[in-house]
Amino acid sequence: MTPRLPGKLAQNSLPSIWGSRHIIRSQAPIRTFGIRSLNPPVNSRYNVGHGLPVLKSTPTAALERKANTLPLRTGAIATKKGMTAMYDTETGKRIPCTVLQLDRVEVVSHKTVQKHGYYAVQLGAGWRRPANLTKSLLGHFTSSGISPKRHVYEFRVKDESGLLAVGKMVNADWFQEGQYIDARSNSKGKGFAGVMKRHGFGGQDRSHGVSLTHRSLGSAGPSQGGGSRVYPGKKMAGNMGNEQNTVQNLKILKVDPENGIVVVNGSVSGPKGCVVRIQDAIKKPWPEDILSSLPSS
Amino acid sequence: MASPSPILRQLGCFRSLLKPQPQSLLQTGLNRRALSTVYSAKPTPKPIPENLPEQFIRQLPLHLRPKDPKARRPIPPPPPSAFNKCKDPVGAVADAQLAVLDPTGERRALFDYRRSQRSVKPGDIVRVTFKNGDPFNGVCLSIRLRGLDTSFLLRNQLTKVGVEMAVKVYSPNVESVEIVQRAASRKRRARLFYMRNPKHDMGTVENIVTNYIRQKRMLSGKKRAPVKAKK
Repeated sequence: MTPRLPGKLAQNSLPSIWGSRHIIRSQAPIRTFGIRSLNPPVNSRYNVGHGLPVLKSTPTAALERKANTLPLRTGAIATKKGMTAMYDTETGKRIPCTVLQLDRVEVVSHKTVQKHGYYAVQLGAGWRRPANLTKSLLGHFTSSGISPKRHVYEFRVKDESGLLAVGKMVNADWFQEGQYIDARSNSKGKGFAGVMKRHGFGGQDRSHGVSLTHRSLGSAGPSQGGGSRVYPGKKMAGNMGNEQNTVQNLKILKVDPENGIVVVNGSVSGPKGCVVRIQDAIKKPWPEDILSSLPSS
Repeated sequence: MASPSPILRQLGCFRSLLKPQPQSLLQTGLNRRALSTVYSAKPTPKPIPENLPEQFIRQLPLHLRPKDPKARRPIPPPPPSAFNKCKDPVGAVADAQLAVLDPTGERRALFDYRRSQRSVKPGDIVRVTFKNGDPFNGVCLSIRLRGLDTSFLLRNQLTKVGVEMAVKVYSPNVESVEIVQRAASRKRRARLFYMRNPKHDMGTVENIVTNYIRQKRMLSGKKRAPVKAKK
C-alpha cells in the first residue's frame, strides 16, 4: 500500500496519471497507486535505441541461440513399463525395445516470452486425489478446467505456434512410427558408490604392500606445487545414479493410441514405472507430416 | 534551565477556568472533552479508478479486488485412464508380435515342454533350417522359455571341435525345426550342461542326421527332406 498522507496532500498534491481525469470531472478524491519519483528521469549513459546489436548475455540473445535446437511442438509425459523385443520382418533382426505408456496427458498451461521469458507447454499426466493437493495447485488445475494431475512437466517449444491449446490431450498418436525422439528420465539410483563403480577408477593392488585400500582412489591431487589443495570437481566417492539422463535419437517402432502405448527402439534410463519425457529428437530433421499440421494456439 | 514553578502553572490554569465561557459550548457539554475525541463521521471510502492497471490490483484489499471468474470452479472428474485399460502393455506388445511371428501357435507348442507332450525336450537331436539355407544340427542342451525371447541351445561337434548355437524360436530367420531323434530316456535335468564335459560329450550327431534325412527321402520319394514345423 502507498503510505497514507495527511488529508490535503493525499487529495491533490500527488498527481495521478490514472485518476487525474476523474478528479477534474467529479472533484472527488481518488486513490493513487504506485510509486512515482519526483526527480526527472536521467538519460542512460549507454547507447540506447533501435538497430543496435543484441548483447550476447541477454535473454533475447539466449532465445536466438536456442531457436534452431528448440522443438517446434510439445512432447509427452510417459511411464516406462518395461522392455521386450520386436523382429524386423524383412531382415529377421531382433530389435530390443522399451514400452512406454501415456496416461491422460493434458496441457495444463503455457509459458510465454512476454510473461516468463520463454515459450513452453506445461503438461500434466496421471491423476491425483484432490484431497492430497495443496489449494494453490488445485486452483492451478481447475482454473484451466483440468482434473488434478500426478506429474507436471514443461516442454520448451520454439515459438507461439508450438503452444498446444490448454486442456488438449496428447495421446500416443502424437508421435509417428519411424520418427525419432529424445527420452529423458532419471537413472536408477545406486546409492553411495565408491570411485571404482562411480567413475571407473582402477583401484589399487591386491597385494604389494597395499593394506585396506584396495578399492579406493589413489591421490586426491598434487602436493605443494599444485597449491596443496584438492581441486573443485575432483572425482570422489558419492551418490551415484538417480540423476536426469537423456537418451537421444530413439526410433519409434510402434504406436497404439487406443492403449496409449509408444514402443521405442533400445533402452531408456530408469527403473520400470519411472516417468519418461519424450519429445521430437533435436538432432534429427523435424517430422515432416507434423510440420504441416502444427496446431495453432 | 529555570522553568515556571508548578504552582504558577496551576494558577494559570485556574485563571483560564475563571474566564467567562461561551453559552453554546456549555450547553453541549463539549467543553469537557479534548479536541482529539471530537466525533467525526466515518470517512466514505474513496472510489477506485475504473481503469486500474493490473499490477496495482494486488495493492487493494482482498474484498475490493475484482472477482476472478476462474476461481472456485468445480474440480473436473479425471478422464478414463490408459493404465486401467491396458494393465500389461509389455505383454500386449509381445502378444501382438507373437500373433505375427507364430500365427498358428505351432512353434510355441514345439518348445513349451512343460505343457505339450510332443515338444522338443532336452537331450533330443534337433535339426534347424534357416532362411539363408544352411542348417544346423545338434543335441538340445536347454530350452529357455521367455515368451517372445524363447530360445534353445544346440550342441554338436564340427571338425572335432565342440560348437554350440542358441536359436531364437520365434525368429523369422528360422525356417523349420525338426526332431531327428528323441532322447533314449527322460533326462533328469532340464539343463544338460554336463554334456560339455568330455566324459559325457555326445560327440558329433552328423551321422544320425544323415541317416534320418536318407530315411525321410525314401519314405516321401522326394529329393529333399520335408520339414516338420514350417513357418
